[in-house]
Order: sequence, then structure tokens, then C-alpha cells
Amino acid sequence: MRRAPRYAFFGLFVVLVVLHFTVRPRLGDDRLAPDLLLLALLLYSIRSQPGPSAAAGFVVGLLRDALAPASFGAGALAHTLVAYLGAWGKVVFFAENLLVSGWLLFAGTWLRNLVVILASGQLQGAALWWELGYYSTVQSLTTAAVGVVLLWPLGRWLAFRSGDA
Amino acid sequence: MALGADRFGSRVDTLLFLGCLALSVAALSLPPSWRDPIAAGLRQTVLAPLLGLQLRSEALQAWRGRFAAVRAERDSAALAASFLPELRNENARLRELLGLAQRLSWGYVAAEVLHQAEPTDPVTLLVSAGRAARVEPLAAVVSPEGLVGVVSSVDAGTSVVLSWAHPDFRASAMAADGSVYGIVAPAGAAGPRAWLLELRGVPYRQTVPEGTLILTSGRGGVLPRGIPIGRVIGVGGQAEGWETTYLVRPAVHPAAVSHVLLLSSQWTAGDTRPGFRPDARGPTP
Repeated sequence: MRRAPRYAFFGLFVVLVVLHFTVRPRLGDDRLAPDLLLLALLLYSIRSQPGPSAAAGFVVGLLRDALAPASFGAGALAHTLVAYLGAWGKVVFFAENLLVSGWLLFAGTWLRNLVVILASGQLQGAALWWELGYYSTVQSLTTAAVGVVLLWPLGRWLAFRSGDA
Repeated sequence: MALGADRFGSRVDTLLFLGCLALSVAALSLPPSWRDPIAAGLRQTVLAPLLGLQLRSEALQAWRGRFAAVRAERDSAALAASFLPELRNENARLRELLGLAQRLSWGYVAAEVLHQAEPTDPVTLLVSAGRAARVEPLAAVVSPEGLVGVVSSVDAGTSVVLSWAHPDFRASAMAADGSVYGIVAPAGAAGPRAWLLELRGVPYRQTVPEGTLILTSGRGGVLPRGIPIGRVIGVGGQAEGWETTYLVRPAVHPAAVSHVLLLSSQWTAGDTRPGFRPDARGPTP
């Protein structure tokens, strides 16, 4: 299949960001609904170099921190880590395997929540385990599921390296 | 095409990553006096269009719900049109029962809660009313069930609400009959007491029965008197034999709130109890 130019991916990125703020609030419990903003970041990071991915993660995280100032900085830290590791994860594992991509999306979402919770220090003990064991796990599953549904038809079309155009 | 690990991850990438990490840690350690203006600046610039989208989406959802309700009411009205006198009587009875005419009718701003995906969302909430709607810092934030929190910072079009679950939240409180006073604070983020409140500072000789409704007392000049906080569910502990702490189940969970009222400062010295009680005569600010 012919690869899409770079702007096609950024088009998908913008669509995911818009859907995050318009459709996602209607998908029920916010703690369980797929995190489309993080999904857009992870889709970008697993196709880009680690440095730009980390920078993108920092920017996305800082913007999210502005929306939830209880843990200002925790989101930036978490998204930076996840985006950087996502860029490396795609290289260390199989580059374009759909299941691996789904697993990376699941792990990335769960890791993001773990780092945010630990860095913010807002939850401890049983509440922390409940958050990680139930809410974060289900949110990671829904996020990964949406990612796989997107990547199934579009994955090969969207596959490109940062620098391709 | 797979990327070759040998070409992947240059020194620039590593430096960029470390730089972002350092900036993140710096952001984490920022004092509130620096943090809040930065967050407010981001909300009012880069995030403003996105928050506008979310607000429109929430409003659209509410409008659809109202449209369905109006349509159902229209159908019911058409069915009951032949029983107009009975309908009038029923309407008057329901109004009296709910106390709609006597409930809070001024001195507040209605807002929608813009929930976020972060796990810490219930600790601070972003609501869709700000300086333009004359929202003020430290304004009480309530839902029909009771206290949600207080306004922490105000932007042009949005406000950040410190919910009762935030570790820094405190409220002067009293039993509904005014027999006991104390301070309400979160019971902690760990263990079975997570998402519960504590009523602290109750003298040892005074007892608060299980099920007692706890209201804001109005002392301290921040929260108005009479907003329901929750109900006592048991004794939480005793300190040095002179003070008892009671566990309180909150009247409302921040994660479950979709719409709130932000009370104006005119209510600070007032009594909101009638607004939350169906059998009330009317508010007395």
C-alpha cells in the first residue's frame, strides 16, 4: 500500500485531539473511556525518533497538567517518559506488528497513569491499587482497542519515520 | 519499514529527553504562586479552543437530553390535556413539594464540569465558568446534593475547583441541628477511608449519632452556612482522650458531578440551608 505523506498522520493526530475533547466526554466514565490524546501521542512516538517524541510528550503532558493542576508537572513527566519509551519500544520489538502496537498502547497508557499517580502523590494504599488494577487497566484496554481499530486499516498507510515526507 | 536500532536514538535525542525530564521535575516542584499563572496562561491560550470544543460538546449533550425531556413532557402534556384541572393541581403540588420556587434563585453561576482523563481528575475539577461570569476565588461549588469544593483559581472562561478530596481542603462544619462543630477534611488517600471525609475536633464528651447530616457552619468566612457535606457513618478515632474524629460519607462524589453551581460572595454571610431542603421557606442571605 502506498504510504501517506506526513501531513496525513498529523491530520489523524488533529482528528484524535478533536475527538478527545468532543466525543470522549460522551463515552461514559472518564476514568474508563479511551484516552485519545495519549493515543495520538503514542501513535506519533512509535513512528518517530525518541528525542522529538519526548519533546512532544512533554508538551502534551504540560498542557494536560494545565487542565488538572492538582498534579502539575506529573503529567509532563509521565508523558515524556511514555513517549520516549514508546519510540524505543517500537524499535526494540517488532516494528509494525499490530498486536505489538496494541500491547505498546496498553502498556503506555497504564504506565502513564502509574507515573502520574506516583509523581502526584494523590493516591496511596488500597485506592492506588484499585486505580491501577481496575480503572487504569480498563482505560488502557479501551485505549489500546481504539488504537488497534485505527491501525488495522490505516497502520501500513500511516507508517513513516520522522523525516519522511 | 522497521527502523534500525543503530540509527536510532542519537545523543541529541538523549539530551532532549533529559531536558524534558528536568523541566518536568522543575514543573513538579513549582510553588502554587508560579504554577497557577502558567496553568492559567495555557488554558487561556493554547487550550482555549479545545476547551471551547469540549464545552460545546457538553452543551450539545445537555441540549439533547433536555430536548428528549421536553419531548417527553410534551407527549405527557398532550395526554393530560384533557385533565387540565388535575394537571394544574398536580403541578402546584409538585412545586410545593420540591420547593422549586423557594430554592436558590440568585447569587450563583451555573457551570458544567469539564472532566479530564487523568486519574487525579476528581481532586481538582475544571468548570466552564470564569471571570467573565463573575466567578470569584474561594467561591463555594455545590451540586443539588451538597458541597463539591471551592474555587481555587479563576481564568477568563474557566475555573479550577479544589474538590473536597484534595488534601488541602478544609471546611468548618456542624451537625444539622447545630449541636456539634468541627473541621471537615479528607480522611486520606489510602486504605478503606479513601474518598471519605473526617469531622475533626469534636469534643470527647459530645457524640454524633450515625446518620447525622453534616453541614458547613459558615465560620471562617469562606463557605456559606448550611451546605450539606455528608452524613456521619461512624467514629474514626480519638486523640488523647479529649477529641473525637468522625467519618463522614460525602454527599456528592466529584467524579460523578456533571453540573455545578458556583455561589457568589453574597452568600458568604448567608444561610443556604433552605436551598437544600425541600421543606424550606426560602434562602436568607
